[in-house]
Amino acid sequence: MRPRLIILGLLVAVVALGGGAVVVFAAAQTLERIQQNAGPVQPVAFPHNLHAVALQLDCLFCHRNADQGDAATIPSVEQCMFCHVVAGKGLPEVEKVRSAWEQGQPINWVRVHRVPDHVRFVHEAHIRAGFDCVQCHGPVQNTDGKTRKVKIERSLQMGDCLACHRDPPATSARPAGSGSAPTDCTICHK
Amino acid sequence: MALSRRQFLQLSATSLGGALYAGCSFPAKELLVQSPVRLPEDLVTGLDNWYASGCGQCPAGCGVVVRVIEGRAKKLEGNPFHPVNGGKSCARGQAAVQAVYHPDRIQGPLRRTGERGSGRFAPISWDEGLNQLTGELQRLRGSGAADGAVLVTAPLRGHLGLVVQQFASAYGLQHLSYEPVEQTALRAAMKNLFGQDLLPEFDIARAAYVLSFGADPLGSWLSPVHYGRAYGEFRQGRAKRGTFVQVEPRFSTTTAGADEWVPVRPGTEGILALSLAQVIVAEKLGEQSVADALTGGAGARALEAFQPTRVAAETGVPAERIVALARAFAGNRPALAVGGGSAAAHTNGLFNLTAIYALNLLVGSAGKPGGLLFNPPPTLKGVPAAGVAAPFRAWQDLVGRLREGRGRPVSLLMVHAADPVYGLPGALQFGEAIGKVPLIVSFSSFMDDTAAMADLILPDHTFLESWGSDIPEPGPGHEAVTFQQPAVAPVFETRPFGDVLLTLAEEVGGAVQRALPWDTMQTLLREAAGLLQREQRGVVREAEFPVFWTKLLQRGGWWDELSKGPAPATRPVQLPQVAVAPRFAGDDEYHFLPFPSVSLGAGEGAHLPWLQATPDPLTTVTWQTWVELNPRTAHKLGLQEGDVVAVVSPHGEIEAPVYVYPAAREDTVAMPMGQGHRHSSRWSEGRGVNPAAILAPLLDEQTGALAWAATRVRLRPTGKRLRLPKIEGSVISIQRPGADVVEVTQAANLLDRPQAGQGTV
Repeated sequence: MRPRLIILGLLVAVVALGGGAVVVFAAAQTLERIQQNAGPVQPVAFPHNLHAVALQLDCLFCHRNADQGDAATIPSVEQCMFCHVVAGKGLPEVEKVRSAWEQGQPINWVRVHRVPDHVRFVHEAHIRAGFDCVQCHGPVQNTDGKTRKVKIERSLQMGDCLACHRDPPATSARPAGSGSAPTDCTICHK
Repeated sequence: MALSRRQFLQLSATSLGGALYAGCSFPAKELLVQSPVRLPEDLVTGLDNWYASGCGQCPAGCGVVVRVIEGRAKKLEGNPFHPVNGGKSCARGQAAVQAVYHPDRIQGPLRRTGERGSGRFAPISWDEGLNQLTGELQRLRGSGAADGAVLVTAPLRGHLGLVVQQFASAYGLQHLSYEPVEQTALRAAMKNLFGQDLLPEFDIARAAYVLSFGADPLGSWLSPVHYGRAYGEFRQGRAKRGTFVQVEPRFSTTTAGADEWVPVRPGTEGILALSLAQVIVAEKLGEQSVADALTGGAGARALEAFQPTRVAAETGVPAERIVALARAFAGNRPALAVGGGSAAAHTNGLFNLTAIYALNLLVGSAGKPGGLLFNPPPTLKGVPAAGVAAPFRAWQDLVGRLREGRGRPVSLLMVHAADPVYGLPGALQFGEAIGKVPLIVSFSSFMDDTAAMADLILPDHTFLESWGSDIPEPGPGHEAVTFQQPAVAPVFETRPFGDVLLTLAEEVGGAVQRALPWDTMQTLLREAAGLLQREQRGVVREAEFPVFWTKLLQRGGWWDELSKGPAPATRPVQLPQVAVAPRFAGDDEYHFLPFPSVSLGAGEGAHLPWLQATPDPLTTVTWQTWVELNPRTAHKLGLQEGDVVAVVSPHGEIEAPVYVYPAAREDTVAMPMGQGHRHSSRWSEGRGVNPAAILAPLLDEQTGALAWAATRVRLRPTGKRLRLPKIEGSVISIQRPGADVVEVTQAANLLDRPQAGQGTV
């Protein structure tokens, strides 16, 4: 009986530790998501509302590769300098970009949207299907970089992708109900 | 409570899973996405471009494609279209990308600040450097002392070869080509026997029987990638599998791929070949008319001295084996005999190669598929297609000129892509001899033993940053020109050597400028491409030049598979009737056999860490020089693997750790070339030893070539030990009981087995 109790006690301790680890991990993930939901803090507080709304720059002007290939890509510092060589001189956030350019340093943004390595998401196919960027990325154009930062709108989990692929909403290229998108495993999991 | 086994396991698994799950996450830096500082309009982050070019890592001249992402060269692969390598590549080519971004690359012009040879330099501007060199060139030419300038390069082909040739002859300077492992004897044999100035294509792919003397085509000889491809065809690409017999004192990479190994005594390869010829002629196994021509009508009687029974003792090959080999060689057509490597590197090197290659005449392989396919002259007239090196005798003459003041004193020495201070035998004391030259200019991209002696360094681009061309040699049996284009923009403040020469020509002016009317290599190459376009044949054929140029660069070059080589010239050759025995330096016990490393070559690759880390195919040793000793020899001297032994020749001694090598002759000591640099990159400086340091300066009198296999040495244990950095033995292999694939023996047991040189192994 005694040895049994000891074994049982040890087991409970291990389970508790393991369970505790799971709880802590889950909490951390949630915290991260909460932070993500507030948007991660970026090295430069880039205001999409100024650039995409007030200045009416198209998403593709900066995120050049979205209609070409897999990744949408982030613009180079040089591209920012097209305007900011004169525009916004003296503003603290703009000065961060200008000094990165002068020192030949890249800007390391904190990634917001990420799918795991075993998933291959191709932007180009979705743009070709007529989707607008905001249909997946939410109202990014309203972010100001300070109080409203870019964050994950959709969960980016497989179920979310499949829900859309099974029953795609209307896009500028096709009306609703015009058939489902591919749901074969190898389409996304090469 | 009673826990069932199943419940216990479930609980443990869950809790363990939970604990593990907590510890596994992705690294924080994967959460970063970068705005690069600059990005050209047509470049997308993460997408690659492939550029075709020509590899510059060894003289073979394979075609390559380079993967470039965001302006950086990431990976080099073989160009699938190129006739030499057909998409394959080797370790040396693969490591080329490391050269571009190497931390020890010379990034801009340097001027010496310390003592000559100290390796202390300070950066200067290109204007300063070029002005100094131009000034000296103008001064020498102006005072009628143009032959006081000496230019040392690697053996050059293609348009860089053209530019150097024109510069040298128009200026009047002495141009010497340096080849660490010279092909002088091979070229002489080709000229004497077949009237050829170009090396032929050794058509291993279609041969039924290959008999190779001393050459290491699967390892380091001439064009290993090409021969490796051919070997694949030879073995598995057709209905009947070919037979490969390797004749050499050492068990090389090629021997490992052969069916039989004939461990001939060093220097007696020619005698063995003549003995095979004697059997073929006596038993009438060859072409009768050829046999008559080669023996002056006397038939087998002319070769009496080479009867197998008479040469068995001298060559170390039993008579029955010689007869069997001769019958197999002549009886399996097409049969191909090749010779080179250590067989050529004796005082009787030309004698050896003449006898070996004459065997091809006897079996009718000259100019035929499966034999020697001769290469046509180059399509572009005047562009060198053969990289001919100056024989060792020429270097001795240069040293004589420097030391004893023979002829015009050398006022200016310029060196490009050559390291003779490292590679020439130490006995010549080349480094000391050039110490007298007032101005030494190096164009090297990396510090090496020769560059360290320079007063001025004007660093070249790597080939991945350069325009160029090449006519591969040995050619593929038809016309071919490789075009080399920059895959990346120049990373540092270096300048391409060809362009620098063209600039110097313009500055010097006069006849030199007229001989080189192009402003850059690119201009010259476009002109050459125009000439190729006018041919309207071959793999790139276009009506408009801009389209032709683009397609040419995309393909990686131009070739015409229909343009075959000439028929062999019928020359009145007679086989030697008297043996020319090899001479050796000293009478010490062991033959010293240095050999080119498959990864480092003769030292050209030592600065690239990927090559240092590439294991030798047979010993698996990395990052080190070793000495291959037969187990009996090692046992006799009380040496084990790792014991450091001094290898002593009449000209010096070097120390290296022992590797007990079962497939070594008892009377030979082999050592790889490539290490032992005094000035080099951080990964190669002061590492290992250089076999050239102790080589005897013996020549083949007929050609002036260095007999680098003719040194004899003795061994002296030093009592020091070090652990050999090798892959072999580092992982314990356990065989499934009852399914033994490999028999594992201890080194000591090998003493009880037949040794190399005693009958068939």
